[in-house]
Amino acid sequence: MSTLGASSVEQPIAALPDATVAPEGAVAREPKGKGGIVMTIVLALVAIFWISPLVLLLITAFRPLSDFLATGSLSWPQAWTLKNFTDAWSIGNFATTYRNSAFLLILKVPVGVLISAMLAFALAKLRIRFGTAIMYTVFLGLTIPIYITIVPVFVMMRSIGLSDSVPGLVGPYLAFGIPFEVLVLQSFFRQLPDEIIEAARIDGASPWRIFFTLILPLSSPALVTVLILDAVSTWNEFLFALILLSSDANKTIPVGLLNFQGQFSSNQTGLAAGILIAVIPILLAYLVLQKWIVGGLTAGATKG
Amino acid sequence: MSTATLAQGAEATRTPPRRRSRLNRGGTTAWLFALPALAVYVVFLVYPAVQSLYFSFTDWDGLSATYNIVGLENYTSMPSDPVVIQAVINNIIWTIVTIAFPVVIGLALAMLLNGKVRGKPALRMIFYTPAVLPLVAVASIWGWLYNPQFGAINTFLRDIGLGAFAQPWLGQDSTALAAVMVPAIWLRVGFPMLLYLAALQGINADMYEAATVDGASRSQQFWHITMPSLRPAHYIVIALSLIDSFKVFDLIYAMTYGGPGTATQVMGTWMYFNVFQYYKAGYGTAIAVVITVVAIAVSIPYVRSQTKEHAA
Repeated sequence: MSTLGASSVEQPIAALPDATVAPEGAVAREPKGKGGIVMTIVLALVAIFWISPLVLLLITAFRPLSDFLATGSLSWPQAWTLKNFTDAWSIGNFATTYRNSAFLLILKVPVGVLISAMLAFALAKLRIRFGTAIMYTVFLGLTIPIYITIVPVFVMMRSIGLSDSVPGLVGPYLAFGIPFEVLVLQSFFRQLPDEIIEAARIDGASPWRIFFTLILPLSSPALVTVLILDAVSTWNEFLFALILLSSDANKTIPVGLLNFQGQFSSNQTGLAAGILIAVIPILLAYLVLQKWIVGGLTAGATKG
Repeated sequence: MSTATLAQGAEATRTPPRRRSRLNRGGTTAWLFALPALAVYVVFLVYPAVQSLYFSFTDWDGLSATYNIVGLENYTSMPSDPVVIQAVINNIIWTIVTIAFPVVIGLALAMLLNGKVRGKPALRMIFYTPAVLPLVAVASIWGWLYNPQFGAINTFLRDIGLGAFAQPWLGQDSTALAAVMVPAIWLRVGFPMLLYLAALQGINADMYEAATVDGASRSQQFWHITMPSLRPAHYIVIALSLIDSFKVFDLIYAMTYGGPGTATQVMGTWMYFNVFQYYKAGYGTAIAVVITVVAIAVSIPYVRSQTKEHAA
């Protein structure tokens, strides 16, 4: 370590800004040769280990309970069945919880992204008074635990008769989604050149027109990312749903799954099927949209 | 096009060219854009947070119409609550373990993935998969794996002849907290991996070449090129993980319910139990205030850096 002089240590740090600007092709190393294959095998084994709980869950969900009990959880199934899924679906009340979660998603996510985009636009491109103060307050929301709001929100919803109703979740969900969405969107908006806005404005376009016909279409990559990430966190949210929803008819997937877990504690294959039913939409969405999720997370955190 | 240029010429004579969005200098339009989100944010986040602060000074049970102001009593009684002590210790352990392991494993995976590897997108996708699952589902999956009688973990131990080590992982004080942290590590490795991978891809390969020419060893290159270049990524990973680890609730609630006894209570679950099980809303909100103050204090540098970066 000490053979590297202090001067040669500083050089890399100084070179950092250049490094990030350099095109990806310049630094990408070609995957070739034996080293690549050994590394690939090592990583593939780690990956298989990492994903094995889900694989095991998938296999178990399709085997009869009797087979599971007879030969143990790690043996290869001697028979296959769909019965676990039909049992889990009806007893787990998934038709209802799916409907509620989907309803919440459709109600909350587009509204959340739209109002966040509007605020982000005001912060990034309009000269808003107290802009920095607003930004600070909103970004602080990233760090605020839900706990601090649950008692007052519970009281508020009870007093307006929206406790134990799916629409009652929309307000709190919106509020806790706003900080991240504004953070990502305003940083994206900032990168759009002022000149195009100026040109549109001179053409007589109102800020609203500029926002809807210029800014939003130009920002579709960021909007898609934010939509997806917001949909994932809305689908997965647990604490507010646990506190506000009490009747079975109003429960969302995570709360429903928790109940189901209790009911099926002695039926290990049915439990596996129920867990899969709860996560399949999110896994499929992730498979199809992973490019957006992975890219968005990195951009959101580093740029954002 | 020509009309646009004409208009621009006319405009330029009236307004200083530096000023943008002069239309909105009064700020009315800007505020109309900002208002919906700000209103929702204030009504459902800021106002309840302030109200919680007020409740924390009362002996409210969460149901009655009346309550008394008790000043700081909820706060001063916390140190003599053994569960609070336990929860604070658990929170600290949780924070350290569920940051250290994912950061180290995530960095190791990112460095391997940044090398000569085939199928990078698929591997990257697999390691991030647990992070998109609902925490309750993660809890269910691991509860299922930990099942003392039928779970895969004990079955595996018995199959390889280590049946003596098979135990009720979630059901005994000695292992419950560790058993809940394993799934947390499982699902948290993906995020640092992605960030580090992006950061590693940004490091100029010439630096490694130059270092190799200078005779620097692999470990020297790691400590003197890779680690310094990853400093911004470290900062973001640790800041976001820290924020996240204070919010721990779902996994513990769904896996152990704070038990056995109070072995896995953290501040979040203990707050919940006080409010919704023991009807001590005043005390519960005081716990929530403490968590929030600590979370904000720890993350203020991060929020500042984000705001400054954009306000500049």
